[in-house]
Amino acid sequence: MSAKDRPFFVGYLPTPKALRGLLLAVCVLFVSGLAGFGLALGIAQDDPGEGAFRFDYGRQTVTGVVELTPYPLLRVTEGNDRIPAGHTLMLAGGGKTNVESRAIPLEGQLAQVSGVMLQRGDLDMLQLRGGRNGIQAAEGDAPQMETIPLGRWKLAGEICDGKCLAGAMRPGRGLAHKACANLCLLGKVPPVFVSTQPVDGSEFLLVTGPNGEHLPESAYHYVAQFVSLEGEVERRGDLLVLRLDPDTLEVLE
Amino acid sequence: MSVKYIPVQWNPNKYIYDAVMLLGVALFLYVFLYAAPGILSHERPINSQVHNARAFGACAFVMLTVILCIGPLARLDPRFLPLLYNRRHFGVMTVFVAITHAGYIVDWYFAFSSSNKYEALLFANTSYSQLAGFPFEVFGIFALFTLILLAATSHDFWMKFLSPPVWKRIHYLIYPAYLSVVAHVSFGILQDQQNHAFTVIFIGGAAAVGLLHLMAALKERGTDRTLLADSADWVHVCDTTEMKDGFAKIKLLANRERVAVYLNDGKLSAISNACAHQNGPLGEGQIIDCLVTCPWHGFQYDVTNGQSPAPFTEKIPTYNLKTDGTAVLVDARANPPGTYVEPVPAGVTS
Repeated sequence: MSAKDRPFFVGYLPTPKALRGLLLAVCVLFVSGLAGFGLALGIAQDDPGEGAFRFDYGRQTVTGVVELTPYPLLRVTEGNDRIPAGHTLMLAGGGKTNVESRAIPLEGQLAQVSGVMLQRGDLDMLQLRGGRNGIQAAEGDAPQMETIPLGRWKLAGEICDGKCLAGAMRPGRGLAHKACANLCLLGKVPPVFVSTQPVDGSEFLLVTGPNGEHLPESAYHYVAQFVSLEGEVERRGDLLVLRLDPDTLEVLE
Repeated sequence: MSVKYIPVQWNPNKYIYDAVMLLGVALFLYVFLYAAPGILSHERPINSQVHNARAFGACAFVMLTVILCIGPLARLDPRFLPLLYNRRHFGVMTVFVAITHAGYIVDWYFAFSSSNKYEALLFANTSYSQLAGFPFEVFGIFALFTLILLAATSHDFWMKFLSPPVWKRIHYLIYPAYLSVVAHVSFGILQDQQNHAFTVIFIGGAAAVGLLHLMAALKERGTDRTLLADSADWVHVCDTTEMKDGFAKIKLLANRERVAVYLNDGKLSAISNACAHQNGPLGEGQIIDCLVTCPWHGFQYDVTNGQSPAPFTEKIPTYNLKTDGTAVLVDARANPPGTYVEPVPAGVTS
């Protein structure tokens, strides 16, 4: 088509008749294309899993012995239908916060905790209510709680923040979630290692530093990646605690 | 064209353009947000904040991809020039969609901690020395601020204020911004995705942008080779027998400037090929109502003096020309913008 025969579009003038068919087709293609991409991309999202806040369970109130790993745990002595005695609960505050300031004075003592559960399969956590409503000393003597060393293990898997993983966010793990996970861990939310192979029957392990301190900052670079690591594992009730040796962290392909 | 600045000079074509664009965007978001979840067989739904963030983020990427395809598409086939006409509205809308995406992300992933959420965005992940787990958020931040800058300076006021060359250079930042979006997605959601439909669409979109730009560049290089003139005081442009009334022949001068020689009512006139508005190719336009009309946004100039008709004030350089038999020759030295040059009768030696 020569330049002279070619329809010439000027925005403020009526559209040339010779262009109207093409432009109508482009409009239809554009609108239907965007709707099609919306559908294709919308249904391409992966399943975030079953983890969730269990508001449907209602407020949970149980009693047990407070332990610090240093992340606060409750070794449940008086449970309920959802949280049986003998279970070990990881404790967290609202949002990306911890409850250490409230738990430290109660270490080794009997305490009553109250809050909402987060649950993903065998992994659970209790987000405590604010102030003394969330955790307070309970009457009675604290029984002695056993910690069983399981030796040194080499494991493969992913370091996550335990709260998002348990269902505070869906999805709550993976590289796209890394910054959020790091922010949770900076807030001393309990970190959890998801092992590819079960360790003594459990694929979820609470992670601490090698000497029972918080997760070392050097480990933050490995959060949300598929890694191998080594560390001492110990059993506290039905919860495993991994004392991570950060020098052994290695990214796996 | 305008003699005073108003937010938008609406006309029927702009209404249609924006209506179609908004309909497409609304449908994308509606289908992603409300139709797709019913098809997904997830045991529990994705958090609505994450779902919203993904919908707006994916929509912004698709919009940006379409926007960047329009330019080369119009260069490859001028019938697509109408898509270019109101592209800035498309760009501004994309910025609003991208800001919404960023808002959902910051208010979800970076909220709920004791730190300021905007500070947290910068310090939560500092693994800059590794590819896997790289803080892909920085790419998104760069792209978002660049897009905001481009949208904020998209009005013709800013083009006049900054001058077209500076404005054009600033707006070339769209390419680093798009590359940054590609990196943002590649180091982010693409690392986690198990369903590869998204990966295929993403790579396909980015490849389409790259391929269309490559094709357009190759076509222009080929055209430039045929248009390029040798260095001389008087440059041969074409033969008068090749010219059609109301249309131009373009020549690329040795100094890389383009000149457009128009035949108007049997007389020849030469003007710069670059429109004063956005450097649109005036030689690919037409003479309408005795005025050269730019094919991009319809800016008009008197072909004899390069001036827009009153009350408009745009001016472009003109060129002296002469004929030698039927050969059209143009003086390679441009006249100052707005200089009147007596039209030369076609086919008459001057």
